Amino acid sequence: MDQLLTNFIRALRNADVRISTAETLDAFSTVQLVGYRDRQLLKDSLGLVLPKTPDEKAAFDTCFDQFFSFRERSPLPTSDTLSSEDDSAADADGAQPGNADAGSGDSQGKRTGQGERTNAATQIVREDASSTESLGNGDISAAQSALGQLLTRANTIEINMAISAAGQQVNVHEIELFTQKGVYTRRMLEAMGHGDLQQEIFTLTASDAIPDRRLAQDLGRRRDWLRERVRDYVEHQFLLHADVTGRRLRESLLRDLRLSTLEQRHHRLLQDLVQRMARKLVAAYSRRRKVFRRGQLHVPRTLRRNMKYDDAIFDLQWKSVKTDKPKVFAICDVSGSVANYARFMLMFLYSLEEVLPKVRSFAFSSDLGEVSDLFARNDIDDAIALALRQYGNGSTDYGQALADFRKLCLGDIDKRTTVIILGDARNNYGDTRSDVLKEVYDRARRVIWLNPEPRPMWNTGDSEMRHYSPYCHQVDECGTLTQLERVVSRLLQSAR
Amino acid sequence: MADIPSIAASVSSLKQHLEAHRYICSDQIATAVYLAYHLRKPVLIEGPPGVGKTELAKTTAEMFELPLIRLQCYEGLDEAKALYEWKYGKQLLYTQVLKQTLDEVLQGAKGFAESVKRLHEFGDIFFSEEFLEARPLLKALREERGCVLLIDEVDKSDHEFESLLLEILSDYQVSIPEIGTVKARHTPPLVFLTSNNTREISDALKRRCLHLYIPFPDIALEQRIVNARVPEVAPQLREQLVRFIHDLRELDLKKVPSISETIDWARTLLLLHADRLDSELVRNTMNVILKYQEDIESVQPELRGLTDKAVRS
Repeated sequence: MDQLLTNFIRALRNADVRISTAETLDAFSTVQLVGYRDRQLLKDSLGLVLPKTPDEKAAFDTCFDQFFSFRERSPLPTSDTLSSEDDSAADADGAQPGNADAGSGDSQGKRTGQGERTNAATQIVREDASSTESLGNGDISAAQSALGQLLTRANTIEINMAISAAGQQVNVHEIELFTQKGVYTRRMLEAMGHGDLQQEIFTLTASDAIPDRRLAQDLGRRRDWLRERVRDYVEHQFLLHADVTGRRLRESLLRDLRLSTLEQRHHRLLQDLVQRMARKLVAAYSRRRKVFRRGQLHVPRTLRRNMKYDDAIFDLQWKSVKTDKPKVFAICDVSGSVANYARFMLMFLYSLEEVLPKVRSFAFSSDLGEVSDLFARNDIDDAIALALRQYGNGSTDYGQALADFRKLCLGDIDKRTTVIILGDARNNYGDTRSDVLKEVYDRARRVIWLNPEPRPMWNTGDSEMRHYSPYCHQVDECGTLTQLERVVSRLLQSAR
Repeated sequence: MADIPSIAASVSSLKQHLEAHRYICSDQIATAVYLAYHLRKPVLIEGPPGVGKTELAKTTAEMFELPLIRLQCYEGLDEAKALYEWKYGKQLLYTQVLKQTLDEVLQGAKGFAESVKRLHEFGDIFFSEEFLEARPLLKALREERGCVLLIDEVDKSDHEFESLLLEILSDYQVSIPEIGTVKARHTPPLVFLTSNNTREISDALKRRCLHLYIPFPDIALEQRIVNARVPEVAPQLREQLVRFIHDLRELDLKKVPSISETIDWARTLLLLHADRLDSELVRNTMNVILKYQEDIESVQPELRGLTDKAVRS
């Protein structure tokens, strides 16, 4: 049973529910307390211990239902009547398991669990039978293929073992994408001798003898049941091993992909990714932002203040610390070539609201304007789209943009301000106005230039990095999300 | 005295007892109390405002007949207000008063070293329990019979305060540098934390807690809640008003009405001797359920339709 819970937790982790070891231990003690008997109680209890956000709760609910449904599947259909089942079982015992294939081979030797036979479905099966060719009750032939025999014996334990064996044989735990489910199901069925069974059913259906045709129908039903069972098994394995492994793979690829090459359809996933990275950074840095008035006596100051009262201490002084909130000015080139990078940097900066409450953003291609308002009024996606539409046309002119920036808010830049400029510095051979950047450099705490182009491309053609970089505290490449994250993290460190 | 172990023997018994104290809840909520009691873990309760997060803690205290110690969180709350503080005033006063005595003690001492040595003989009198002002968290640990500790709106506090809570929540103890570690006496407190989700609670804190999310109840449950809280309301009106509130929650509002608003509304309608909803009545009492003028204005045109729907179905 412990294995069951561990597997379940593994499936949950795959479904992006974060579960620590401590919580796993909690889950074990919970299960010890409530037991496995009452499904709803188990679900309620584990739902309190394991998932810790509404999103995780939703994931937990689906995962729980999927995971524990496997055990509630309909039992294997048995033969039409009990007597004929006994007959066929006896027949099967007598038959030589010579043509056993690899998949079910190891289970052939284990016939200990015959008593497990499930008879409950007899009723259902009889109803099913009426819809096809009615052959009545009576003699039934014995199955010849190994899988057929296995199914006729209707021993759930044996069949489950055969399924797991086949699963191992085809390495079902390597499943990564949901599109592979079909392939693995087919491979597993093949490994279990599905082909032989198909052939047998085919031959039997064509046979003249009624007992043979009866067997064909019976086997057909059992085959369908088996297929469903195997499909469930693969689904289960997929939950356990894959699903998110596939997503993680994609995410790790996305992290290191150049942002400009990203396709529209990845934006959603990317946004999640950015948000998650941002949350990590917030958690790491928010601790440092707030230092409040502590309830501690400031002894030196108290003594100093009370000297005038002849050392009788009247006026208590408390320790207090003021902290600066960092100000960030982000200037983004939103002309065609760089727009995509600007999108993600702005997304990043605005996701950090909790630690960077004062972000002002400016967009330009030739003329520069402030777009902070757009972000205050719209959600990030819309704001970015609006900013791009408003400022995205026109040929890039860094000189003009810097001049505009100077006019607009040079006065607002002080020693707490960090200025980030995102752009490829390709100025169409215009005036660079690096003197403006120097002014900014002199006033600001830090000036950071982020260039989405790979370093070797800098200073080639109309790229003016060599003119700008002397007036930056830091020059960085930010072509991928990983690089962007690094830059923002360093920004948080220095902006404290 | 309440027989706590027998009340907490099963989920259904807990649910019954909670209901007996007029707290109507889903199985999940009762399960949370059950696990909190048996696993001795704190419960972090999240959910929209007014669904009875704080009420659950209060009712649990009532049900177990334990004292309720409540700590309301706010920005800037620190250990001096939550945990303990030295009685600085008293300390200073005593030093002033005891100046004379100190002089006597120090009389005849030769040199600095000897004076300090004599002072040492007195031990850390000024940092003993006498001078310790216990705040809610410390008080909760010192309760003899255990208690229910409610840490309300923990999301309003700072990150530092969360870290402060970690030791208490996992080990039911606090470390006071001058005195040592204070452990919970006999039974550790039953801890409830509530959060309105104005910010993310840190993972470290969440890990130590059971996490209960209380959503808005479904129609049937809410009717039972109204019935428990305002039993005088006629069944027909109760049905109508709960249905109306549920429809209202579907709309795009700045603040959707919560259970507490439903109950307030039921009381209001009772005062007005209403026995069924009509659009005039709803219009006049709108300000009980909607708390923003813009919400009231946006609902205004749909009032008639909503009322008819609630009355008819």
